[in-house]
Amino acid sequence: MIFEERQIEKNNFSSRATLLFGSIILGLIAVLIKVFSLQISGYSDYQLAALKNKNYAVPVQSLRGEIFDRNGKVLVKNQPTFDLITRPNLISDIDSFLDEIEPVIFLSHTDISRYKKLQKEKAFVNKELVLKKDLSDEEIARFNVRSFNFQNAFIAKRYRRITDYPEIFSHVLGYTSRTDDDYESMPEIPKSHWKDAELSYAHGLIKGRIGLEEIYDDYLSGKHGQRVYEINARGQLVQPLSFIEPEKGSDLFTNLDIEAHKSAAKYLGNRKGAVVAIDLESGGINVLYSSPAYSINKLSNGMSDTEFQDLINDLDKPFFNRALQGRYPPASTIKPAIGMYGLSNNIVNWDFEIKDPGFFTLPETGRVFRDWLKGGHGKVDMHKAFLVSSNTYFFSLAYQADIQELSNHLSSLGFGQKVCLDCFGEDQAFVPTPEWKYSMMNAGWVKGDTVNLGVGQGYLVATPMQLANYASLLATKGKYFEPSLVTFGNQKKSIKIWQDDRFDDSDWSKMHEALLGVIESDHGTARSIRGLKEFQVAGKSGTAELVSLDSKEAYQEVRASESLRDHSIIIVFGPMPNPRYAVSVIIENGESGGAIAGPVAIEVLKSLIDE
Amino acid sequence: MNKLFQKIYFDPYIFFSIFLLSMLGLFFLFSASNADTSIVSKQFFYVFVGFIIMILASQPDPDIFRRMSGLFLIFSLLLLSITYLFGPEINGAQRWVRIGPLSFQSSELLKLAVPVFLANFLFDKKLPIQRKEIIISLIIICCCFFIVFRQPDLGTALIIACSGLFVLFLSGLSWSFMGGSFILLIISSPFIWNILLQPFQRQRIATFFNPESDPFGASWNIIQSKVAIGSGGLLGKGFGQGSQTQLNFLPETETDFIFSVIGEEFGFLGVLLLLSIYLFLLLRCFYLALSARDRFCRLVIGGLSLTFAANLIINLCMVVGLLPVVGMPLPFISKGGSSLVSLFLAFGIIVSMGTHKKFLPQ
Repeated sequence: MIFEERQIEKNNFSSRATLLFGSIILGLIAVLIKVFSLQISGYSDYQLAALKNKNYAVPVQSLRGEIFDRNGKVLVKNQPTFDLITRPNLISDIDSFLDEIEPVIFLSHTDISRYKKLQKEKAFVNKELVLKKDLSDEEIARFNVRSFNFQNAFIAKRYRRITDYPEIFSHVLGYTSRTDDDYESMPEIPKSHWKDAELSYAHGLIKGRIGLEEIYDDYLSGKHGQRVYEINARGQLVQPLSFIEPEKGSDLFTNLDIEAHKSAAKYLGNRKGAVVAIDLESGGINVLYSSPAYSINKLSNGMSDTEFQDLINDLDKPFFNRALQGRYPPASTIKPAIGMYGLSNNIVNWDFEIKDPGFFTLPETGRVFRDWLKGGHGKVDMHKAFLVSSNTYFFSLAYQADIQELSNHLSSLGFGQKVCLDCFGEDQAFVPTPEWKYSMMNAGWVKGDTVNLGVGQGYLVATPMQLANYASLLATKGKYFEPSLVTFGNQKKSIKIWQDDRFDDSDWSKMHEALLGVIESDHGTARSIRGLKEFQVAGKSGTAELVSLDSKEAYQEVRASESLRDHSIIIVFGPMPNPRYAVSVIIENGESGGAIAGPVAIEVLKSLIDE
Repeated sequence: MNKLFQKIYFDPYIFFSIFLLSMLGLFFLFSASNADTSIVSKQFFYVFVGFIIMILASQPDPDIFRRMSGLFLIFSLLLLSITYLFGPEINGAQRWVRIGPLSFQSSELLKLAVPVFLANFLFDKKLPIQRKEIIISLIIICCCFFIVFRQPDLGTALIIACSGLFVLFLSGLSWSFMGGSFILLIISSPFIWNILLQPFQRQRIATFFNPESDPFGASWNIIQSKVAIGSGGLLGKGFGQGSQTQLNFLPETETDFIFSVIGEEFGFLGVLLLLSIYLFLLLRCFYLALSARDRFCRLVIGGLSLTFAANLIINLCMVVGLLPVVGMPLPFISKGGSSLVSLFLAFGIIVSMGTHKKFLPQ
């Protein structure tokens, strides 16, 4: 090659090499810009993504608050039990481990098969696994002596939700049941992490079901803690990073009374029915008992399927809370309300008398409404009408009532609506109106319907809770508190007032006098319970007829079938003259109100007053 | 000592920048392998052998390389065909040839043999080079490309093609020819996509263009790599502290994705330092190419250093998400004896070409 040619070649090479090396430098700059955008501009996003990759947060279960009665005695507590926990990832041979531990801890076949099923999955991500729940003292002692043989197993405390009165507070307290997650309370922890929660309860993550446990669930449940683990790309736990301690839930101080509840359960026995008692000074509910009941300890801590099915299929419906959901005709216990209506609407006054022949004939149709006493009570004024529970008197009073106004009046006394502030699943029962009858039965309201209402029969139904609320209104002469299971210390409930200008203090006094006479006088229908106590009690009993019959003889035939027998009902308040408590009792198919439901009410009153 | 340095052919700039890179490489590898000393000591051995090879390769006169280039190419191809017939299968690909306890990825040698051979073929041709010469060069390049591509090893095959094309370009390929072949490439791209690419290669390219489509499948690698680099920030998380690396969220930390480890643990400043060393090394090669004694040396230095640069850029672009994932190590840093030794050999040849001076005109 000649010199010029070489010079041309060299220049040509230089420019081409510059072009290529220049492109390489541009490539390096492009990489640097990209790295800059990742590391500097995108830093916070990517840092978060890296944290999300490696940080695995699990909830640490909080303990629920405990529940106390009005005297500070514990109703529901957290009782420690002990579980045997293993670290399956560190156990090389599961079978020989189980063989070794069997003489120390009794293991059932289901324990073993469940353990074997779960251990592989837990071992992979090195998590803990429960081998046996609720160890006996003997097992704990045996294990502790030999614990050096079992490096990869340990005993841990797990709580159970326990009450010492599982059968007598079932409906009002409610129970707790297992839940898969508590995501709503802690949305920062993803749903899938809840299966790895660090548990405080042997039964797992729990949530209140029915009763106080459900109504006050947020208050009782406290705040779950949180433990953050570092995990690797395969999801295996590497090490714990941080821990936030759980906060125990608040304790719940209720108005319930253990002794009174015991009395209610004892005197109701195995009969179906309900008892509600209210403290008139605060509106606090001291007793809310429904029979038959069930064991909330079993429900909270694991009940076998057959036991549960038996409860569900029981014809007496133990899960049915009669105190809040049972709809009963109030029968004669409605008479004070009808009397109040008659007096405040000037249909009658205290001196007004009728002649009671033992029946009332509806003028329009000639239909006969019978009194419970054949032949009647003779001359009856209002006072006597309460004492002897004259149906004829209230038939004729109701006959003159305007059904719309009477419905409004009953509603103003709490019928047909929920009256308790914090009861779970309260039913509002029902006060009939002409519109209702027309839309439901496609029939017009007739006078006979109003007449029936006058003695608490027919379409009107009420719950024991409503009857107790009504009794507390009567006892406080209209200045009562709304009933509630829990009264928060400094938060005084405002008083509720029922008043009517045409129903004054003297009317109230006469009403109390009459209702006192029902129990305490020689002629009162509930005089049989007079001797059961040392204080004076006012009240009104009732017998709710389930079948409408024209004669006593016919009833004797009906009696043969127990489920058609009359319900016995009573509302009482005392001690008179300054009543402190109001009680309602219903005994299904108990017949004659005063004599059957009466003693239960008196015993409950006695336990409440004795304290 | 000074006398010795005057006697041997040695370039201090290249030597020290490579020394720095390979020492940093050992350091990063220690963290990337979760402190596996056996991996690091093995790599240290390769680095040591590499330096010896580099110094030895710097000594012969360029003319010796020129005369040997044909033999070198034939030897490389022979080695490759042995691999093809007898080599063990690793990850579905036959790439390795065993020599005693050592295994060698035979395609690495082709990266050197192809540019040296083409430089020899083209250095005395008149400008502009003729069609006949271009076609012979292209046939050689294509043959070598396809042999490696069928292994299958797309990354290395592309690098080999690049190494040949760089020499062809530097030796004065006409612009009109390049324009024509570019158009041809565009037209034939559907054919390449459907017939030549393996399904997994097609999938990699598809996920590159839409990485969020499959966050736990094929694009996992690239997403985790970006998270690792991004979460390093300005200063990094510290040596051995990168959660993406240490907890194995990042794949292939010792090989293809070691740059992400550096990004995570040493941050933007670490990346800046590393890229500066590479840049310095490349600029030194550029200088040597321009000041080399003859056309053959220029072409060899240019071809080899640009091949090295392409290798580097492809790896960097891949881990930061600018290119689809192709298996390509980060030179001097990633684990792997074959690529390391062939890199040292390449730089040994570059030093030889750059430091032997012949003052008499040919």
